[in-house]
Amino acid sequence: MSDGPILIVDDDAFVRTLLRDMLADQGHPLQEAENGQEALELQGPPPRIVLLDLFMPEMSGMEALALIRNRWPGTPVLVISSMDSERLVDEALAAGAAGYITKPFHPMEIASAVERALAA
Amino acid sequence: MPEYWIGDAEGRVLGPVSLDVVQDLVNTGRLTEITRVSRDGRNWGTPAGFPEVMTLLLNAPSPEALLQAERHEAARVREQLRAMQGRPPHEIFRLDRNASVDAYRNAFFKLVKRFYPDRVRAQAHPDLRKAYADAFQFLSKLMVHIEKDLSAGMPVSPLPVMRSVPPPPPGDDEPLTPIPAPPPQTARPLTVVPRVMTPLPRQSPLMPPAPEGVFSYQPHEFVGFERREDRVEVTIRVTARNSRMFTDHPLANLKTDGFFLACAKSLPLGTLVDVIFRFDEERREVRSRGRVILENTGGDPAKPAGFGVRFITLVEQDRRFMQQFVEKTGAR
Repeated sequence: MSDGPILIVDDDAFVRTLLRDMLADQGHPLQEAENGQEALELQGPPPRIVLLDLFMPEMSGMEALALIRNRWPGTPVLVISSMDSERLVDEALAAGAAGYITKPFHPMEIASAVERALAA
Repeated sequence: MPEYWIGDAEGRVLGPVSLDVVQDLVNTGRLTEITRVSRDGRNWGTPAGFPEVMTLLLNAPSPEALLQAERHEAARVREQLRAMQGRPPHEIFRLDRNASVDAYRNAFFKLVKRFYPDRVRAQAHPDLRKAYADAFQFLSKLMVHIEKDLSAGMPVSPLPVMRSVPPPPPGDDEPLTPIPAPPPQTARPLTVVPRVMTPLPRQSPLMPPAPEGVFSYQPHEFVGFERREDRVEVTIRVTARNSRMFTDHPLANLKTDGFFLACAKSLPLGTLVDVIFRFDEERREVRSRGRVILENTGGDPAKPAGFGVRFITLVEQDRRFMQQFVEKTGAR
């Protein structure tokens, strides 16, 4: 498991802030990106986990998911999206997502999902 | 499988996804506006150039059909709630009788979000809004009860007191009565006229905060799902004179994670508010998001008109800055 940051990729600044505050309380180093393109341009060690929105400008989350999986093969990607079609969940998991959390989310739900992904 | 990319007016892109997914999202109202479509993510066209996508958009349920469907969905949810109320918690969540608290939480999150109040569209049938709220409240109370039992080392028991769900209203299959459409709630700036506040008498809290370290699993604790058009933007210039908005109200103040803005306008309970506090003298701006938890419409002359907000998000550094500002300006 990488000792890099948890990478939050979401175009909504408030969601990024929420996630950052929740995870910072648990002592995780964090990094943020507004979209998939920005995430892939980040330098430094591979992220430990990526929290990824699906509906974003510049590059869609599904495209970002494939490229992130290619660039950082060992990094689990948790999708966090308000798009709650079961078929979309299936397609995201088939594309390599480690999990799919629908918005709205509860702080404990995120904390629990991150801990599970870190322990896997 | 055919792959599609779709884009909205805000420039956001979803794809590649199957046409089935697009259909799901259109039919459930998750996608209300598609401005462009692509089959490869590079070459884009208007939806009109993609007959299969246009068919989905044109066949999207009409407002009348949506209301009818929502009324039936409300009846289904009420029935589901009645069934849940008579069952042991582990059966409701489809878990083993000795499941861990983590297992309960995971199952709870999966189930309760189906009934999250904001999932209902703004013009939804009131029956559905009520049914969702009742189901959400039942499950939230049940989860708190489960946590208490498990933390005390006891086996999980059913909720001791449960109000039964009232039967569906008569004439469930009758033609729908037209429901007046609510006023449009586009994100809009609010003109704010801060006033000097007078302390309010104490009253029963509308939303008592959860005990330290304990979640109450109320809807406002679930975040990240907001219809952008439902937000109200508020910009407040904070000065020493009006900084009592953070201290004076017994229920909405910085210590309870909020503030009360005395102003000529009020906002309905539950309204999502994007707030920008401008501290001009300090040359600092603080952005936050909150929800209206109190509203005084001015009917009671003993209470100032305005609204109280509880923060959904406020960066800790900003909170400390605001606390220091309040202490410096002498607000008590």
